[in-house]
Amino acid sequence: MSIIQVEGLKYKYPDTDQLALDDISFEVKQGEFIGLIGRNTAGKSTLCFALSGLVPHFFNGGYGGKVFVNGLEVRQHEVGDIAAHVGLVFENPFSQMTASKYTVFEEIAFGLENMGVERNEMITRMDESLDLLDITSIKDKHPFDLSGGQMQRVAIASVIAMKPKILILDEPTSQLDPQGSEEVFKVVENLTKEGITIIMAEHKIDKLAEYADKVALIDHGKLIDFDTPAKVFSRDDLPDYGITAPTATRIGKALGIKDSKTDLFPVTIKAISREIGDKL
Amino acid sequence: MSTMTLYVDKKSFIHHVAPLTKLLYVMVSIAITYIIPKLEFVLFVTLTSLLILAIGKVFRKILPILALSILLIISIIIVQGFFHPENQTVLYSIGFITFYKEGLTFAALLTLRVLNMIMSFGILILTTKHDELVEDLIKKGMSPKIGYVLLSVLQLIPQMRATMGKITDAQRSRGMETEGNLLVRVKAFFPLIVPVVLNSLHNTRERAIALEVRGFNTKMKKTFLNLSKEYQYTKTIQSILWAILIVTIAWRILS
Ligand SMILES: Nc1ncnc2c1ncn2[C@@H]1O[C@H](COP(=O)(O)OP(=O)(O)O)[C@@H](O)[C@H]1O
Ligand SMILES: [Mg+2]
Repeated sequence: MSIIQVEGLKYKYPDTDQLALDDISFEVKQGEFIGLIGRNTAGKSTLCFALSGLVPHFFNGGYGGKVFVNGLEVRQHEVGDIAAHVGLVFENPFSQMTASKYTVFEEIAFGLENMGVERNEMITRMDESLDLLDITSIKDKHPFDLSGGQMQRVAIASVIAMKPKILILDEPTSQLDPQGSEEVFKVVENLTKEGITIIMAEHKIDKLAEYADKVALIDHGKLIDFDTPAKVFSRDDLPDYGITAPTATRIGKALGIKDSKTDLFPVTIKAISREIGDKL
Repeated sequence: MSTMTLYVDKKSFIHHVAPLTKLLYVMVSIAITYIIPKLEFVLFVTLTSLLILAIGKVFRKILPILALSILLIISIIIVQGFFHPENQTVLYSIGFITFYKEGLTFAALLTLRVLNMIMSFGILILTTKHDELVEDLIKKGMSPKIGYVLLSVLQLIPQMRATMGKITDAQRSRGMETEGNLLVRVKAFFPLIVPVVLNSLHNTRERAIALEVRGFNTKMKKTFLNLSKEYQYTKTIQSILWAILIVTIAWRILS
């Protein structure tokens, strides 16, 4: 069974005329890493909101179709209930801090306190999250005393401690320096090993090509393509959607290197070297 | 760390009094200065607050706030000293300025009340962990939303400072001078403050979303990471405070 199921999802923000999401359908299996790509205003954030229940519960507006996450129909449940199944992390690490706690450890407790998790269980889960995100060493620091990359990992840990089956990340690295971005990608890869399903909107195409099992291409609220990175990045019309293919794909195209099994262009440097290695 | 909160981490008897007991002190000490509007009595209450601040080893921390309120106090003295409606007894005149006894007495009373208010709140804020106070209030039935607002207001300053630091970095990396003599800093300040304010407005909306997805609005019963601390003498001190309040009210009614 699919852990995420979206059927004919349509959505329009209040007081707007255009559909922000236009008849979107797709399914995701447990443990998959899905990359979400598309130009600015394509509808990536809106889709992330729809998967976490903020659309339609927080943003209101016109809504049609159905979204199921871990068996729950999003429209029928409150955001707080969905939070136990779906975690959401977004761009700005700073505004994800509650601004009401004095240490990273207490910051991570916030969601668990709200959900009424018993104290011992709370501490066990928090220690696990600290470990998973590699931030145990900063647990006594003030949340505002951290670097962007550290703060973003605290934001992820806060959400992971709530034990969601699905983690949605909306451009989590776009305000981080290269080192901070690298840290975030590393821990997200770690999470997939824990069986957590990942949906990640991201502009760093090379990184997505490396980590994603599938890529969803969105434009003007429509799902243009939903397939393996190799298939999606082989499309000739990517520039029409404001997307530049991964470096490896462009090199492959320029040099005429294709994956011998799939007859598609490579999406990672590793795939290129494999092909060249085979030929040599 | 220490710059991130107004709480002063010291060891003193006052630090070992339960947060809600200190809150009760704030309320009682302010209330009685209105119940018994006698100069000597209000002076006594104010000196008590001062003494408690000293025992709590936080007297020096209150000085900047007292300094800030000097302006308010001076204006009270001038306005009341000159213009109090019951002014009759001339105390002394300098040129055309005349001070009246009634006005000055009233000004002194107001001043002491203000000082006592600042100092008693100072006792609470400077010697109590804010989250502990707020959690105690939530356990007593206060809405967690109000609790959140209180805590986040107390974090406004560190928050602004963090944003400011981030934006200064960004401006510096774009070649703007942010360090050096006063003029350079003032010049850098204004382009800085606009993004800081805009940023906070934007952050507020995003933060609302972040709180939402961390279950802030669920109707479930909250649990707490921090354990309730055990305090000594809570009953005794609270009883004394209630007794003082009742006695002053009785005195007021009977006299
Ligand atoms: N709160 C909102 N109110 C009205 N329209 C919005 C709101 N947020 C986004 N939109 C619009 O919805 C569309 C999709 O935006 P968004 O999902 O943020 O795109 P992306 O994340 O891909 O950049 C855009 O046209 C945008 O202007
Ligand atoms: Mg977006």
